[in-house]
This record gives sequence, structure tokens and C-alpha cells, in this order.
Amino acid sequence: MAKQAVMEIRGMNKHFGPTVALKDVDLDFYPGEIRGLVGENGSGKSTVTSIMAGMQKATSGEMKYNGEPWKPLSMAWAQEKGVCMILQEANTVAGCTVAENIFAGRLSEFGKFGVINMKKLNAAAQELLDSFGLGRIKASDQIANYTFEDRKLVEIVRCVTEDTVILVVDETTTALSLDGRQILYKLMHSLADRGRTVVFISHDMDEILEQCTTLTVLRDGNIIGTLDEEELAQAKDEEKREKLVEKIRFMMVGRDIGNAYYREDYDTSHLEEVALEFKDVSVGPIKHFSLQLHKGEILGFGGLSDCGMRLIGRAGFGLERLEGGQVVRGGKVIDSPLKAIRSGIGYVSKNRDTEALILSAPIGYNIALPSYDELSRFSFIDPVKENRMVTNEAGKYAVKCKTVRQNVSTLSGGNKQKVSFAKWTAKDSDVLIMDCPTRGVDIGVKQSMYALIAQMKRDGKAIILISEELSELIGMADKIMIMKDGEVTGEFMRSPDLQETDIIGSMI
Amino acid sequence: MENTKQVKSMPEWLKKALGFARDHVYDIFSVAGLVLCVIIFSITSNGRLWSSYNVGIVIEQVTMYVIISLGAVFVYAMGYMDVSLGSQMGVYVLLMIMIVNATGSLLLAFLVILAMALACGAFNGAVAVWLRLPSIVTSLFLMFIFGGIQYLLIESTGSNTISTSLDMDFFTETWVMAGAMVLVGAIVFYLFNFTKLGKYTKGIGANELTTSQCGVNTTKWKVIAYMVFGVCVAVGSVFLLARTGSGGRGTGSGYAMDIMLCLILGGMPLSGGTRSKVRCAVIGSVTYVLLSNGLLLSGVEMNLVNLVKAIVFLVVVVLSCRDNSGYYPR
Repeated sequence: MAKQAVMEIRGMNKHFGPTVALKDVDLDFYPGEIRGLVGENGSGKSTVTSIMAGMQKATSGEMKYNGEPWKPLSMAWAQEKGVCMILQEANTVAGCTVAENIFAGRLSEFGKFGVINMKKLNAAAQELLDSFGLGRIKASDQIANYTFEDRKLVEIVRCVTEDTVILVVDETTTALSLDGRQILYKLMHSLADRGRTVVFISHDMDEILEQCTTLTVLRDGNIIGTLDEEELAQAKDEEKREKLVEKIRFMMVGRDIGNAYYREDYDTSHLEEVALEFKDVSVGPIKHFSLQLHKGEILGFGGLSDCGMRLIGRAGFGLERLEGGQVVRGGKVIDSPLKAIRSGIGYVSKNRDTEALILSAPIGYNIALPSYDELSRFSFIDPVKENRMVTNEAGKYAVKCKTVRQNVSTLSGGNKQKVSFAKWTAKDSDVLIMDCPTRGVDIGVKQSMYALIAQMKRDGKAIILISEELSELIGMADKIMIMKDGEVTGEFMRSPDLQETDIIGSMI
Repeated sequence: MENTKQVKSMPEWLKKALGFARDHVYDIFSVAGLVLCVIIFSITSNGRLWSSYNVGIVIEQVTMYVIISLGAVFVYAMGYMDVSLGSQMGVYVLLMIMIVNATGSLLLAFLVILAMALACGAFNGAVAVWLRLPSIVTSLFLMFIFGGIQYLLIESTGSNTISTSLDMDFFTETWVMAGAMVLVGAIVFYLFNFTKLGKYTKGIGANELTTSQCGVNTTKWKVIAYMVFGVCVAVGSVFLLARTGSGGRGTGSGYAMDIMLCLILGGMPLSGGTRSKVRCAVIGSVTYVLLSNGLLLSGVEMNLVNLVKAIVFLVVVVLSCRDNSGYYPR
């Protein structure tokens, strides 16, 4: 190509112990492009970009940045030189204000003799926030006052400056609601327009096709291929688009996964028996909320990130102190996770790394933890039985690991998510509350998770599915409840005619 | 590129050995430390380390450390520690002497201190949760309380030390000590590896929030863990009394830190979690006792022994408690 690459990667290898994450990867990034990186979990997308951004070191290989050898010492160092990365998980410092977070590492610019001019700091931070269209976030507030989504946006404000040359966005959009995404997209395009480079990692094919100008597909640590602007432009055309998507998916998975993705049936019937009941529940913005979840029913909750749907899930699992009302299952009041689990409720938290999983513990331990009650007989936990159960579960989801004794922290994002799912299927819970269960999970696994959820419905399990992806709700739920400011603003029954556009109105 | 070639050309057995070493790096460190102690002190003490008299002393000391640190495994696995241990033991020894001298019944004395140790365990476990304090704070509180009690007890006798009239030679018989270690070790090994107690204490240490969201009543298991520790402290106190036969103002002081050092030398992570192992208590206790004993036998002055211990402590912590990403846990 005639254009000079801003970043050249040559022969890069990365080993995590025995696992090979990257195999002789050659990759170039050019100015002015929004490069999509797609691939299944553990294909090496995050690995290659995080090496570029200075988060970790390659086992071997070379990088050139603007023609010069590039050996980043740390993330902060790389960011100063113009290469920055927005991560999948929250990365803000709790206990500090928004402004302090934005200027973390640069506070001395606002200081004199070691004393920081807070007024100046807050003003500068607020100006930045405003320029990103985030005026509603106040620079002087504690970061803890904001939701996961807003913290993510603050992180973006922190990363991206005038001097940003390459911006890596690693599955950030899964944490963002619609308007948050719009802000990010706008930012990406304005960077590209100014001749900067954006590397965009996502599992959402629609998003990739709409936002990216070029696209690289990875599989098992190899570059499978790169689609140039011309090829990607086909996405604008309805007919060619489908073929293109099929082609990309084939490149990602290496086999044809077909079209059956979500549930195919439109059977919204369920058993009469109530599995979980919310009686006049008030918590936070939610006032007097009542609901019956039946056996064999999939209830979907959607809305913007802070609409209250997340609280419903937490309340159903006994994690919230209710201001009024009760959550009841089989005549028992659920007011603690212990009681919830004893009565057969499982909960997949959205905060995967802090709540749902113990990163520093082995995969097997994580899967077995909720099930030790069942595994122990006269206080004795049979290690053979335990091992059989966890190996079986890990195998069911094809968790990409060498053994189940390996720590969860060694897994890639999507594989971690599989483990947090496996915990509850191992326990055989009758009611499952899932908060964004397929967040950061690749299509192959998504497909099997959806199949599993559909099977659970047939087995008479009751499911609450909380999701930010409307297509997921439309594809899976019997009934979709859309929430806004703690109230249910729309209810939609499952139907082949239901479209995203029908629903969005009640969200905003 | 060069690296990959190296990996490929490596013989299979070497790869396996390296993999094993990587997976067991802490075990290797702790065992290597023990072996190193044995070798160095065998030489520097001119063989006195292995004299039957010294071996007897070592076993006496090891017994107490092993029993108490075995109990402490549960507490450390949760990422907690108990600094009240030393003053608790001081009080227990004094109380036992007083009760034995008054009634002649060692069993009664043991039951009294067992009850107290269990109560302390419940206190460290439950009160800490109710008051929403870290357990180290409640154990500090207990340390001061028991320090006060110890002082009052010894004041009430009017002398600086008291000793027991009872013959406790039974507890210093080698087979009794060895038997006690094996018994406690077996029970702790079972509890820690094959019951919910062990699984949950590790979980609490690794990530308490996740563990409670898996339906674990963390308060209950904290209390149980601390109470198991209490039982071991009570048993350990009996062996301490049997060894010294007397107690005073300073009895027990320093044991809390000694036990911590034992566990760290054995490869126990200070932050707890799933890397915690029962063998840490055994290996570490033996290493620790050999270290103190061997230094003295090699002619190192008493006040220098502490200096050496301090340096060993620092080195071990730096080697063992750093995780791969380079951050110190907690």
C-alpha cells in the first residue's frame, strides 16, 4: 500500500505459560482508518492491542511506531506518546473525584509547591467533559456517584486528548447504553477524520459494519484476513450485506455456523406455577413494582443503563435492601443471596471480575463454589465427584483452558463469562437471573448459550434476562419489559414482527 | 522468533519440569528454605543440631508451633490474622497454672481455657462483622484486653512468675507430641481440603463478595474458622505449659508474629485465597524453629538472631507474596 503505516507489527508472538495467544502476527495500522478487530474469544484481539498500548510485553516480535522502533514501557508511557487504550472492564480509581480521575498522573500540572488548585482542576475537567458532550457529569463529584457506564465515559475522556494518535477501544460499547455509544462513535469518527487511527474491538457485527472503515479477522492467534474499505462498503447494500456478514463469520469461526442464532420458536406459553414474585417492591428509583415470573418463562428487561432493570435483578437475588414490598419464591421471602440460592435462584452479575468470579482462584473452584452444599455428604466433599462436575461443565461451554485447575485470571473475557454461567448450570438452579449474560462473548458461544437458555425454558426453568442488546431480548424473551427511570414504560410480547424500532420509543 | 524456536527444541521432560516448577514455585521455595536451613546449620553448628538433646528441644518447640499454625491456616486463608494470639496464650497458661494448683485437675483447666478460646474465636468472627470492622481490629482489642488480664492475674499472685506443681511430663514425651501433631494435622487437612470450611475460608480470602453471592454465609464460616483456630490455640497452650512449667508477665509475647512468620516461611500467601495450603503450616514451623535454634547453636548472639529473622522475613515476603503482575496483594 502506498500509505505509510502509523504502527507496524512484525512477527509478534505471545505465550501465557503453555497457552499461545499470538502466532507470528503481522499487522499494520494506517492513519485515518477505523479498524475493526473481530474474532472469537481468545483469538488474540485484546492481546495484540494491549501489547501495542504497553499493558504487557510480547514474547517476541517487533513494533514500529511512525517508523521508529516502539517498545512501550507502560500504559501511561504509551498514552503520553499517543497510543491509548480503553479497556473492557472498569478502570477508574474509586474514592476520587471525576476531575482527579481525568487528570490522574497529570495532577502536578495544576499544582504549586505540592498544593493542587482544585478550582483550576475542576474547571479544566469540566471543560473537557463538556467538549465530549458529557456536561451532565460534574467534574467535582465523587466518581462513585456515577454508574458503570458513566465511569466508562469518564475513562474515555481521560484517555483521549489532542495528542492521541492511536485509540484502541476494547469492547467498551458493551458497557455503554445507546447514547453513550453515540458519543463514542462520534469521537471515533472525529479522530479518524483528523488522520488519527482508531482500533475498534467488538462482538457486535452491526456495530462493526456501521462504524469501521477496515476490518481484520483473527482466529486462534492468527490473522485470517483484512477487509479493505471497498469490501466493507458492501455492508451499505442490503443484499450484499448478508453475504458479507456470512463471510466474516466464516472467517472468524472457520466453519459455517448457519443462521439459527436465537430461539426459533414463538411459543410464549409457560406453566401456571409462579416461580418468583415481586410484591409491591420499592428500591431506589423503583416504586411499587409487582411482577410474577412463571416456570418456563423468559422475561426480558431492557432499557438504558441506569433505568433500574439492573436493580430488579439484584432485588430478585436478595442483594438489595428493599424500601418496601417483598420478593417471594415458594412462600419464602428472599432477602439475602443465601436464601435465594437455597431456594434455587442463580444470578449472573454484570460485574464479572469483581462480583461474579474469583479471578485468583482456579476455574474448577469457581464453578463448584455455589454447589458445595450439594457436593458434601456428611461434611465430606468428594474431590473426584467435584472434578467430574466441573470438568463436565467447563466442557459443555468449551471453556478455552488447559485444565480446570488453571486460574480464571488467565482466561480471556468471554471465557471468563462462560465460567460465571457454568456456576449456575452446575448448580441446576430453577430460577436464573442473568444480567447481560452474553457480554463480551463471541458468536459461537453466544449461540450455544442461547440454545441453552431455550432448553432451560423447555425444562420449565424461569429466567429473567436483563440485557442492553435489544436484538438479544427480541430474539430470546417471551415478554420484554422496557424500563425508564425505575418504571416499566413498555411491554412487548414475543412475535416475529417485533422490531427494535418499535421498542426504542419507550426507552427514551 | 528465537524464543519460539527455543520452546520447540526443548526436550519434553524439561518442558514438563519447567511447567511443574512454575505451578509449584511457592512450594519449591519453602521446601528449599527448609533444606537450606538443615544443611547450613548442620555445618555451622558442628553437628550439634543433631545431638539427641537438641533434637528433643526442636521437637518440643515444633509441636507447639505446628499445632497453632495449623489452626491459623484457616484464619490466614481468609486473608486475616490474629494479633491477640500471644496475650491469649499468656492468659491461658497463667489460668491453667492457677486452676491446676487450686483443683489439681488439668482437664478442668483445659476446658476453661478452651471455652475462652472458643469465645475469642466467635468474637473475632462475629463481632467484627456486626461492627463492620476488619477482624484485625477486634483481635487488637482482644490483645489489649488479654494483656490487661495477664497483668492482673500475675499481680494477684504477688510474684513475678508462678509455676505448676503438677507433673506434666506426659506431654513432653516424644510420641505424645508426635501423636498430637499428626492428629491435629490430619483433622486440619481433612477440614481444609475436603469440607466446606476449607473451601469457603479460601473463597473469603480470595473474594469475599463473590463468595457471599454464591450463597455462603460468610459470617458463620468466619466464626467457625476462628473457633477452629481457638481449639488449636488451647491445645498449643497446654504444650507450652508442659514445656515451661511456669508462666509470668512475658509468657506468650511474640507468638502472634512468630506464627505469621511460620506460615509465610511455609509459603502461605498473606492475602489468603486458594493458594493457601495446610503444608505451609508444617514446613514453615519446622523451618522457623530450625532457624532460631540453628542460629543460636552456631554461636549467633541472641539479639542478632532477631535481626537475621527480620531479614529472612523480608526476603521471603518479597519472594512469595508478590503476584505475577508485580503488585503486592493487599
